[in-house]
Amino acid sequence: MRPMSTSRRGFLRTTGAVAGAGVCWPLVARADPPGSRQRAPVKAPASGDLQLLAGSPLLADEALAARALAAATRAGASYADARLVAWQRERIAVSDDHIRGVQRSSEYGLGIRVIAGGAWGFAATPRLDPRSVEDAAKRAVAAAKINAGLRREPVELAPLAAIVGSWVSPHTIDPWTITPQDKAELLIRASQAALAVAGVDHSAAGVETQREEKLLLSSEGARIHQLLVRIRPSLTATAVDRRRGQFASRDHEIAPMLAGWEHLEDAKLVDDAPQIGEDAVRKLHAAPVEPGERTVILDPSNLWLTIHESIGHPTELDRALGLEANYAGTSFIDPRQTGALELGNEMINFVADRTQPGGLATCAWDDDGVGTERWKLVENGVLVDWQTTRDQAHWIRAKTGDKAGHACSYADSYASVPFQRMPNVSLQPGPEGYTREDLINATEDGILITGRGSWSIDQQRYNFQFSGQFFWEIKNGRLARPLRDVAYQANTVEFWRSCDMLGGVGSYRLGGSFSDGKGEPSQSNAVSHGCPPGRFKVNVVSTAGKPSKGAK
Amino acid sequence: MATITEREAKAITSAVLGAAMAPEVIVSVRHRQTGNLRFAQTQPTTEGSVETVEVSVSATIQGRSATVTGNQTDKASLAALMVEAEELAALSPVNPEHQPPVGKGAYLEVAGHDPATAKLDAAQRAAIAGRAIAAAARADVELAGYLEHREQSFAVATSAGAFAYHPSTAAALTVTARTRDQTGSGWAGAESHRGKAIDGGALTELAAEKAELSAAPQALAPGKQVVILEPQAVAELLEFLVDALDARAADEGRSWFSRPDGGARLGEELFHTSINLRSNPADKQHPSAPFTADGQAHKIVDWIRDGVLSSLTRSRFWADKTGTAAVPPPSSILLEGADLDLLELVGAVDRGVLVTRFWYNRTLDPRTILATGLTRDGTFLVERGKITAAVKNFRYNDSPVNMLQNVLALGRPQRVYTRGGRVMVVPPMVVKDFNFSSTSDAV
Repeated sequence: MRPMSTSRRGFLRTTGAVAGAGVCWPLVARADPPGSRQRAPVKAPASGDLQLLAGSPLLADEALAARALAAATRAGASYADARLVAWQRERIAVSDDHIRGVQRSSEYGLGIRVIAGGAWGFAATPRLDPRSVEDAAKRAVAAAKINAGLRREPVELAPLAAIVGSWVSPHTIDPWTITPQDKAELLIRASQAALAVAGVDHSAAGVETQREEKLLLSSEGARIHQLLVRIRPSLTATAVDRRRGQFASRDHEIAPMLAGWEHLEDAKLVDDAPQIGEDAVRKLHAAPVEPGERTVILDPSNLWLTIHESIGHPTELDRALGLEANYAGTSFIDPRQTGALELGNEMINFVADRTQPGGLATCAWDDDGVGTERWKLVENGVLVDWQTTRDQAHWIRAKTGDKAGHACSYADSYASVPFQRMPNVSLQPGPEGYTREDLINATEDGILITGRGSWSIDQQRYNFQFSGQFFWEIKNGRLARPLRDVAYQANTVEFWRSCDMLGGVGSYRLGGSFSDGKGEPSQSNAVSHGCPPGRFKVNVVSTAGKPSKGAK
Repeated sequence: MATITEREAKAITSAVLGAAMAPEVIVSVRHRQTGNLRFAQTQPTTEGSVETVEVSVSATIQGRSATVTGNQTDKASLAALMVEAEELAALSPVNPEHQPPVGKGAYLEVAGHDPATAKLDAAQRAAIAGRAIAAAARADVELAGYLEHREQSFAVATSAGAFAYHPSTAAALTVTARTRDQTGSGWAGAESHRGKAIDGGALTELAAEKAELSAAPQALAPGKQVVILEPQAVAELLEFLVDALDARAADEGRSWFSRPDGGARLGEELFHTSINLRSNPADKQHPSAPFTADGQAHKIVDWIRDGVLSSLTRSRFWADKTGTAAVPPPSSILLEGADLDLLELVGAVDRGVLVTRFWYNRTLDPRTILATGLTRDGTFLVERGKITAAVKNFRYNDSPVNMLQNVLALGRPQRVYTRGGRVMVVPPMVVKDFNFSSTSDAV
């Protein structure tokens, strides 16, 4: 597999000289975290400034976490881990020319997870005092023992050498050092620049930042301290045609990243805003789409979500085995098909990677304490591996040789149980080095779709329907005119088999989401997907509802 | 493991308000004790006993506002939260749409706290799940499910003198049964403020029966069909319409409820005359929160009366600007029906599709509230009043507007599962011309 660039300006700044050389993977780590990462097939992702962890308030409660572990072990746990997790979130939102909201939240507490009698137990408390954490540990063990009576076989954890290590996600500007006023002023400038476009009636902009810090201790001796900083900018313009009762919105296609404030500075929202406004007006007056079998070119800003839904979710091993049947669903893929199922044609290669710079799911160790890595899920169109955790490895070991799981465990709060969550899953670029323009020029009749629109897919991930932000009709290799109300519907396997052109390394981009939902109670995971533009055959549908004048 | 009392809640809000320098402050406290148990492959997987606290403080100084939320309730943390809110507010630009906090007001009396539900623990969770697992074993299906119960104390206070406290409980169980050959899937769920309303055995039997009935489905051509939507399916589609009931979007021309010549379509007969949509936080069977996080009262509201749009939600800013009353988005939604069982509705349909629930529902077009999604876990062909075959799941592209316009019959309203969100009590509905756009192989 050839090295690639994520091509995001924000990311390039974040990783400095290494990225500047145009080779971002495999990465030459700037500062290896201390501690061992035995058996991890790649080096740890580059760390940011580890000094940021030195003054952490979590350290003051480390003894309490150890106390919870001891209480769990005394109560009969065969395994226990304690996580101190501190979250800080900030949201700044503006509308038109004014502020709409400044919100900050913080959350801190301890979650204790145990295995007792062969079953999982978990308890969590925001009260960090000896009695509260010991009570939580005892509750977790007692519940595990009760539930063990209903289990048919014990939970099995893959053997793992205990790791001691620290990691900080690379970022150059801590978002919490920029005042809300400065953030809002930048957003208002962008919003006003969109609003200034004739025909734009409303605009909005926002930025959401996350700071997630966690200290994991386990009864096996693990001690892992990590800090993750993420940022999500947004900008939207809306044009309204009152006479026709029509309106259209256009979102900027910027991706959220594992990065600091530098991502927003590099994003040039203010410079892009007039274009976003003009696009909203053009979208409002665009021609309606002609439904039917069509060729589409999907820009990375659109294709990443299709990857997430149609490849990311069905290759979660827990889904395929029925563990998520009651909510997120199962998978159209049977694990027995590993190594045989053709999910796409031979151009199609998917890689899972929790070490990818800038990727929202990137970290050094997962919440089970397993070192993160990069591995192949689909090779030349064939399913070869799965997303797994330490307690799932034995289910698939005979097929894939999975030793300790692929480090996909994550919990979104001190109050949440870690379980299998999606790593960054990315489509590899084609070897021909095509640009997006090459794909357009090679297309007689088709539609270019960019950005994220409405999305929906069934619970086994066969039938999907995605829209986008902007749609161009392609005629004779040229962008002919904007279209509106476009969505594409397809069957996952037919879709990936229909791909006949992929962009090259230079066209590869990351997209992503802060809020992939899974599990009960539902947890949120941040994840990125990289891809080049691709050309596919799909069923294009119109999303325009018929204007209704009321009953009868 | 109890949640805070009214006195304890007031101590927290008073500590925050007492530390305030800002002239305008709103503080809310949400304290939860939650227990949950997941199961899959017909055995328990993960479980949790979780305490969470949210103290949210909004401060405004000369039109500059900020909101800060924390989860520590000691005096020093509360004072620090207040200071942070003030510092952030001072740094924030002026919000021209700011409204001063609400003052002392009256709230509906809501009895939403069931002591027995507040006391549920791991042993009782295992007992309920055990009955579900035993029923699945009897029916020879694979079972996955989720049981959750919680106790919550919620309080709001403002610098203008408002104080409100609402204790509540909630319990819910959902189960998905799958046939051993994985060709059939059935779902059932229940939610209530009373844990004893949750019957793990009965829900599992229903899900197992649907799984068996839905096995080896045949493909039916998509297109417009008569559908019998079970309450869960009705609620999932209706939610898009409830969320679109916003006066400002309507007045500004950004909504289906916009009049082409400006303003909202209030007073127009937009739906079938049998449609009556209301909110009532004090409903005896289905209580919901009597106030919002900023202290506004949730009142009894008629949204649609005999098919006529009679109310829209309205922010306090928009109400002030337009000289009308503020109406917050509702905590409960009640769609009236008729005294008919689901199977009586089925019995009256000559040919149609029975839908258990929808999945992955997303808005396609806000101008028409057009949405898309798929049927799931029990989709059947009905012929001459009887379920005659299992059919493959469909993708729909349709609007709740059409559902409320094309209704042929309504059944008995039932509380649906909303993952602890808004309380929704809706009937099963028979609807004509429902648009299925494609089929799916998903089971």
